[in-house]
Order: sequence, then C-alpha cells, then structure tokens
Amino acid sequence: MVYSEKAAKWVLSFPLLLFWVVMVVFPAGYAIYLSLHDVSMGQGMSSFSGFGNYLEILGDADFWHSIGFTLEFALITTVLELVFGFLLALLFNRSFPGKRPLLSMVLLPIMVAPSLMGIMFRLILNENNGVATYFLSLLHIQINLFDPDLVVPLMIVLDIMQWVPFTFLIIYSGLQGVDPGLFEAASVDGASYWRTVLQIILPVIAPIFFIAAFLRGIDAFRTFDVIYVLTNGGPGNVTKTASIYIYEAAFKSGQIGQAASASVIVAVFLLLLIPFFVKRLSK
Amino acid sequence: MKARKPWLTTIAVSVIAVFLLLPLLNTLMTSLKTTGDINSFPPKFTFAPTLEHYRNVMFAAGYDFTSYFKNSILLSVFTSLFVIVIALPSAYSVIRLGFSSGRLLTLSMALRLFPPIVFAIPYYLMFQYLGLLDTVTGLILINIFLNIPLGLILMVGFLQELPYEIEESAKIDGCNVYQILWKIILPLMAPGIASVAILAFIFSWNDYLFAVIISLNKATPVTLGSTMFITSWGIKWGDISAATVLSILPPLLFTFFAQRYLVSGLSMGAVKG
Repeated sequence: MVYSEKAAKWVLSFPLLLFWVVMVVFPAGYAIYLSLHDVSMGQGMSSFSGFGNYLEILGDADFWHSIGFTLEFALITTVLELVFGFLLALLFNRSFPGKRPLLSMVLLPIMVAPSLMGIMFRLILNENNGVATYFLSLLHIQINLFDPDLVVPLMIVLDIMQWVPFTFLIIYSGLQGVDPGLFEAASVDGASYWRTVLQIILPVIAPIFFIAAFLRGIDAFRTFDVIYVLTNGGPGNVTKTASIYIYEAAFKSGQIGQAASASVIVAVFLLLLIPFFVKRLSK
Repeated sequence: MKARKPWLTTIAVSVIAVFLLLPLLNTLMTSLKTTGDINSFPPKFTFAPTLEHYRNVMFAAGYDFTSYFKNSILLSVFTSLFVIVIALPSAYSVIRLGFSSGRLLTLSMALRLFPPIVFAIPYYLMFQYLGLLDTVTGLILINIFLNIPLGLILMVGFLQELPYEIEESAKIDGCNVYQILWKIILPLMAPGIASVAILAFIFSWNDYLFAVIISLNKATPVTLGSTMFITSWGIKWGDISAATVLSILPPLLFTFFAQRYLVSGLSMGAVKG
C-alpha cells in the first residue's frame, strides 16, 4: 500500500531521486565517458583515447597555473574575509543607534549577482570617468585594471568587498549565541577587551568560524562571474581560475574531451577533501 | 554589551557600510546622469537627474532588456517552486520516516562542494541532444540542480525544529502520511518554505555561468543581458547602469522586505552545513 510509511518514504523521495539520476548520476558518468574519448565541439564522431586527455591536461602548464591561482585566491580571500567579518560582527555585537537599518545595508552586497558586481566595479575603475580612478589620481596614483602586478590584489579586494558581509552574517549569528555574561565576567576580572575576545570568545565560536571558512572557501574556489566579466581571466592567464580554464577549453577551444578530463581531475581533487569536511561539519 | 560611546560605533559602521555599498551607489548615480555628465572628468557629484537611460533600456529599439527581465522572472519563479516541491517531501522522508539514514544529506553536501562548471559540459551536450539549448526550461533544470542541496539542508533544519507531538496525534486520529504532510507540515513550515523560496529565487536570478553557456539570445537572463550593453563601439555607461540597477532590484527588494527569512535561511544553511 502506498499509504504505509514504508512505501511513503520512497514515494516522497522519488522526485528527488529521479531528478538526481537525470541531472547528477547520468551527467557524471557522461563526463567520465567524454574524458576518455577524443571529442571536439560540433563533431559527432569520437574515438576512445584512454587516458590521453588526462595526460594532456596534466602536462599543461596553463592548467596548473589556473589551479594554483584558484587555490591562492580562495585561501587569501577566505582568511581576510573571516578577519574582517569577525571585526564587523564585534562592532555589531554592541548596541548603538541605527543598528537595524545599518544591518540591512551591510547585508545588501550578498544579494547582488557577482556578474553585475563585476560591471559595477568596471564602472568605478574605468580609466575615463571612474570614481576610483579620479580619487587615486588626486593621490597621484595611477591604476590600470590590466596591470599584471596589480590585477590579482585588485580581484582580492573586490571579492572582499562583496563577501565580507557573508562571513559577517555567519559569525554575527554565532556571536549572538554567545552568553553576554562571558564578555562581562571577563571585564569584571579586569581583563582587557581584546584579551577577552581572543582567549574566551574566539574558542567558543571556533566551529562557526570553520563553517564560514568552508562555505566561503568552496565558493571562492568556483569563482567565475566577477573575474570573467572584469578580466576574462587575463591579462594572459594571470587571473584564470579553474572554472574559467575549463569553460574556455570546452566552449572557446571546443576541446570537449580534454575539458571533461580537467573537470574530472578537479572533482576528484575535491572528493578527496570530503571526508575531512564531513567529519568536521557533523560534529 | 554596552559600549560607552554608542555614537562612535554608529559612525564606524556607517563608514564601512558606505564603503561596501560604493559600487551600488556609484551605479545608481551614473544611471541618473545625462551622458554628458557621465563623461565629465573629474566626476560630478551634483547633477540634474534624468530618467533617459531607464527609458532607453526599457523602450528603445534594438534593446531586448524587457525580454531578459521576463526570462529572469520565469527562471527564478519556477526554480524556487520546483526546489520546494522536490526538497520538502524528501526532507520529510529523511527526517520523519528515516529514509536512507542520512546518506541523502551527505550526498547533497558533497554536491555542494563541486564547482558547477564540472557539470557544464555534460549538460551542454545533453541539452543539445534534447533541444533545450537556449531555452528557459533548460536553465530552470540546471538551477533546480544548483539549489536543491541548500533547499534540502534548510528543509531538514526547519523540520527538526517542529514538535513531533502534533503529527503523532494526527496519526492517532487516522491521518495518513500524505495528509499529515499536506495539512500539518505544510502550514507549519511556511516560514521555512519562504526562506528556501527566497534564497532559491535570488540565487537563480544571480546565476551567470550557465546563462553564458546555455543561452544564446532567446533565453538570456538579466545577468548576462546587462553585460551585453558593452558593445563593440564603446560602453554606454548610462544605459548599462540603468540596466544593472533594474537587474538587482528584485533581490534587493527581498533583502529589505523579507530580511527575516533571508537571515534565518542563510545562517541555518551555514550551521547545518
């Protein structure tokens, strides 16, 4: 009977299972199949090529550069966003006039599409009439978005401007669970504010920090939109993330087989991390 | 905790807020300037506002912005609808009926780990075969996939907060599982459903990667459409700013009028992992 609980749990899960078979299991298998074949965009015929695509990708300096840049970018932005998010959360943890509207305003950037953020940054930075260009020129500083020495720090700053609000939100909601007595008890003992924060508050909300780091880290690792809109991964390949690398290999160069093997390599790399994260998160 | 000079905190936070909102404020200002004012250097901070760029974006010949906007609405509404229809029953099945003893949740957490680009190539070829390239339907399918893990995790979190006793007594009164889900869980879960719906709406509204890959022109949403104003004969900053402001309006409206649901969704999504 479909009314029994035993049947119901299958009936209720069926849409999800069906969807996942069509949109996860089959595509994953298909991607592996493609990675083992010599396939190009627009050509129906393909021949088995074994691990040829993998060897090609693993020998491509451009691929390793994109992996290295993506890891560097993800690591630096995540660390800085945690620090700034935490500081902002400490500020919001006090009571002050205008707290509610300011909270709404600070959270706004999270809701903006990163690609549109890219357009807005371009407007600020453009060399003819950009506001940032103007203020920096007052300080006799010239910036050029496509200066290879400057482009990586610039991308990091822009990422921070959009995503500090996110780490802030997570850490702030964690801070609200902290007993306010902890702050007070420490100040009664005469401990300074910063010692209280570092030695008492930080250990208490460490799990929240880990979660914020995890969520920001995986999102930073998949970065595509902002950088693609601003630099196209350039100049050269300086800001080419793993996502941009795979996108270009597949849809610009039409090397479907090789792009598929690159995405399998990235997926396996992340799969190796899963046990580590699942263990930490399920605590 | 009580600060001794609360106004100092207000000033510090306001400065940070203005810095974070600089791109938005600057774009809003640019969208209201005449083309002459936009091109002046140093930039003008006082000017006579005009709506000409908004008129251009919405009505001028050769601009398809209104159809991009329509695509985005369709995409986001149907994505959040399907995410709820799929995620709520399966979350119930996992939490109350013990389906898969949690493996389903581990799997959806693992899915959240992968960069979506990994699925882009098989999706492109599948959609080519099925005739779903450059269709909103295709984009909806992909965005359901992108948002189901979060939907599932949130639904599970909200379900765990519901007291089980109500369902128990309904069961004793002779309700079957489906009646309980429809008549008891659905109304009780309304705030949780609102959170999931709003987040899925915003995230699918903001998707750019798959818009670039799947849509050519018929199915183009606003995220991609706005970048198209960067034409080969130059960047029309006034029009592009107006298009950008219109494109971020729906998510921003949610932020202001449904902030409670957003915050509870985002922080629960984080806590539940």
